[in-house]
Amino acid sequence: MRKRLCGLGMICVLAGLAVTALAALAVTAPAAMATPTERYLHVKVEDASKGESVNVNVPLSMAEKILPTINKGEMHNGHVKIGHADMDDVDIRALLDAVRTAPDNEFVTVKEKDQDVRVAKSNGNLVVHVRDASKGGQKVDITIPMKVVDALLSTAKDNELDVSAAIRALSDAGDALLVTVEDASQHIRIWVDSKGSQE
Amino acid sequence: MILLGKIALGIVGTAVAGVGLLCSEGMIEVKVVERAPEVHHVYVIAPAMLVPIGMHFAPRRDLSHAAAEIKPWLPTIRAALEQLRDTDDVTLVEVKEEGQHVRVTKEGGSIVVDVEDHDDTVHVSTPIRAISSTIEQLAAADPST
Repeated sequence: MRKRLCGLGMICVLAGLAVTALAALAVTAPAAMATPTERYLHVKVEDASKGESVNVNVPLSMAEKILPTINKGEMHNGHVKIGHADMDDVDIRALLDAVRTAPDNEFVTVKEKDQDVRVAKSNGNLVVHVRDASKGGQKVDITIPMKVVDALLSTAKDNELDVSAAIRALSDAGDALLVTVEDASQHIRIWVDSKGSQE
Repeated sequence: MILLGKIALGIVGTAVAGVGLLCSEGMIEVKVVERAPEVHHVYVIAPAMLVPIGMHFAPRRDLSHAAAEIKPWLPTIRAALEQLRDTDDVTLVEVKEEGQHVRVTKEGGSIVVDVEDHDDTVHVSTPIRAISSTIEQLAAADPST
């Protein structure tokens, strides 16, 4: 009887220690096992006039896994449907295919009194610059790696964009400043790097 | 005497096992400091496992509505939580306004929400595992499944 009780007591103690150790492992293990090369999509919106700022940091691996699970509206399985009406019957796929195969060049330059628009291909990036003096000197700069553009169009259907593939391509691309929008008071930046914070 | 000692050892062992099991999903930490109209401090730290356990005792009828609403988003929530578990510590969202500061971060295995304004400071830390368990409990409450 004594031996049994002793054995039972020891088993309970060992079980307790094992459960405690497992609990500690469960809490600390995910951080230790995290991949060191995680990349993040950062969005920073600042409004100096109101003293407001919004920072969003999304791990690209998370975005890549989440997007295919969203099936609502025009979004399904990581693809977004683009209506022909929205494109005014412009064959965007053919257009971007032409840009991709063309050498580095300036494709569109529009200069008006208050506006200046430039679309170019430079160092494997699709570059768009817009300057609008009528909107408080608004400046928009967009730089999208052509690999990301290719990935967007990698779906078989004409009226769909493969956002998941684009996110994957973005993960493989280097650090990049994708979008900046500046006007008199607001400043928006979207970029990709491997830092978990915007410090 | 030895017999009593062994019984005590058994009780202690069982207690340690129980505490270990209870803490296996980490701890939920809630800290609230109210500065106006009066100063109040509230600090609660509780085993996160209590939440999914508590869900068992919630009225099924009340949960089914929430379960039905959350159902279409379950794959997304599951994917997000799974990825959050694996990712490095990161500040997911930070909003600063005049007199207000909201921050949502992933720290260790927990999601931490910090809100600070003129009158209050709120800090809530919830283990991701506990969120997952609670979501699964909620999903199980859907009568159509």
